[in-house]
Amino acid sequence: MALARIERLTYSYPGAAQPALEDVSLTVEEGEVVCVLGPSGGGKSTLLRALAGLVPHFHGGSFAGKVEVAGLDTRRHRPAELAGGVASVFQDPEDQVVLTGVAAEVEFGLENVGVPPAEIQVRALAALDLVSSRGLAERRAQELSGGELQRVCLASALALEPELLLLDEPTSQLDPDAVGPILDAACEGRAVVISEQRPGPVLERCDRVLFVDGGRIVLDASREEALAWLAGHRPLYLRKLQGVTKNDGFGSDLTAVVNLDEVTYAYGGRHAVGPADLELQHGEIVALVGPNGSGKTTLAKLAAGLLEPQSGRATIRGRTGYLSQDPGRYLVSERADEEVALGVDGDLARARRALGDVGLTGLDARHPRDLSSGERERLALAAVLVIEPDVLILDEPTRGVDPERKAELAALLEAGRGGRATLVVTHDPVFAADVADRTVDLTPQAELAYA
Amino acid sequence: MSAVPGLCVLAALAAAALVADRTVTVAAIALGLLAACLQAPRRRRWPYLVGTVFSALFLFVLSPLLGSYGGLVIWDGPSVPVLGRLDVTDEELWTALYQALRLAAVGFAFAAYALLLDHDQLLQSAGKLRRSVLAVALATRLVPSLERDAAGFVEALRGRGVVVEGVRGRARLLSPLLAGSLERSLNLAESMEARGFGRPGRTSVPRPAWTPFERLTVAGAVAIFLGALLWL
Repeated sequence: MALARIERLTYSYPGAAQPALEDVSLTVEEGEVVCVLGPSGGGKSTLLRALAGLVPHFHGGSFAGKVEVAGLDTRRHRPAELAGGVASVFQDPEDQVVLTGVAAEVEFGLENVGVPPAEIQVRALAALDLVSSRGLAERRAQELSGGELQRVCLASALALEPELLLLDEPTSQLDPDAVGPILDAACEGRAVVISEQRPGPVLERCDRVLFVDGGRIVLDASREEALAWLAGHRPLYLRKLQGVTKNDGFGSDLTAVVNLDEVTYAYGGRHAVGPADLELQHGEIVALVGPNGSGKTTLAKLAAGLLEPQSGRATIRGRTGYLSQDPGRYLVSERADEEVALGVDGDLARARRALGDVGLTGLDARHPRDLSSGERERLALAAVLVIEPDVLILDEPTRGVDPERKAELAALLEAGRGGRATLVVTHDPVFAADVADRTVDLTPQAELAYA
Repeated sequence: MSAVPGLCVLAALAAAALVADRTVTVAAIALGLLAACLQAPRRRRWPYLVGTVFSALFLFVLSPLLGSYGGLVIWDGPSVPVLGRLDVTDEELWTALYQALRLAAVGFAFAAYALLLDHDQLLQSAGKLRRSVLAVALATRLVPSLERDAAGFVEALRGRGVVVEGVRGRARLLSPLLAGSLERSLNLAESMEARGFGRPGRTSVPRPAWTPFERLTVAGAVAIFLGALLWL
């Protein structure tokens, strides 16, 4: 018998003109690992929410069809009743942490579902072990990096030992070396439905692949059949790291526009980065990589001039533009074009051109909060590109971005490389290899090196 | 020391400040609580302290102007429509000082609760009050969340060459801060629902028994309140 079954589900969010899911049918067998692929805004997250019972209970809207999980009809049973048998990890780890301490956070779900008291701490610590984060148990959640928080959220779900695990881009902020072992732990002995925009590691482990676009399941096939289909229809989803790139696209007459010399930085006594060196030259694109908590964002902010080094020297020549990894920071104005125009003294014509450059033509008058998550990412990029910086620094610009949009972003960076130096902080090795002339690695013990 | 005895002491001090008659007693309590707040990291404590001091000063300045009692007039101001004659008497000043100190003491007690206590421990000790305690803990986190969001907005604006200056510059961040906070609270509620919050039959991590010192602290808190009620 299927563990989860969706029958002819059509669902629309309140006030939405189009259904988020349309006539979707699906079964998930016990122990099956299902990879869900598709463009941003295509319905992947809604599909996972339907399996968790959050659609329609939490979101409202119109719901037709039937969803059954572990024999429970989600229209009659609230998500809290499904919890334990079903566990979810959502896209933004920052928005799902309830408590202050990491250990208490992992214990929270166990307490709610009535795990015997003597088992709670044992299971919480075991789950933290599974994601290689036992050392975080005594830390405050607010002090953790995005990747560390993502591990804590995964541990919170794994601690429940669910029959069905629903993961919505659970590795978007994890360093590439951590992804494989964590996915192995997640997929061990349970059914998993996992949506990913860095599909490589998931495609290696899944039994089945769904491709969701426009609210419909376009493909539901075994892994082998799906790989053949993707190769023919969506080849960008099969991109793999193919050795060190590139690139002779920039000239030999290079000028250093950023020099960080033996810089260090600590947050309230907690060491973040350094001593570290970094040089960025006009016309080049550099990828900054390293494990979670290694100080990539801090080094990027030092290079952008947003932080002053506590020791060492930072020399920055020209105007810098910094794209934060949280697109929610670019939602200050009431209209998209006004938001972008903030950086150019309200020049709306320039702002609209920048919106067009990132594929947001026609959305000038939309409220930024009404944009989808993928559109918000692009709005944020436009808000930084419009100022035409001499030094462009992008912090995790591909988080939650589908492979086709990543290719567009790579092309955009390539097209504008001549006018600036670009630093891209990323956990995505394929994207780094696509865009970067060289890679700077902050892995501990590794020197800041040119790869 | 676990969080519950700490909370008892803070609650007793706040209550003592409200029931004590003497200004000097209230001032001593406020100063003691301020000293406790100063143990928290500077980066976390400033919104609470600035908010409390500003509120207390506002009360101290405004209430003598609006009051009309006392014999010795220290300052005789103009007559304003609706409010009437603005003047300040010695009795109004003393009363304003007393009220401002009471407000400051309560504000500092809340700040110490927010900054120094382990809210997770309080939640685990809450028993049947768990839902209410969690609601208070989440509400308490609003201030640091808003502060982090505000810093994030300012940083993102600086990252595109926009400098946020002055009251007007910061005021324009209020609306996005509020909208962001609402969005986050919805996401958090969704996460809590998915993790079984509110479902019957919950359990909790076994708590260690209170130490003699912690029992003594709770007794001390009761004594503080009674002492203030009876003698201060």
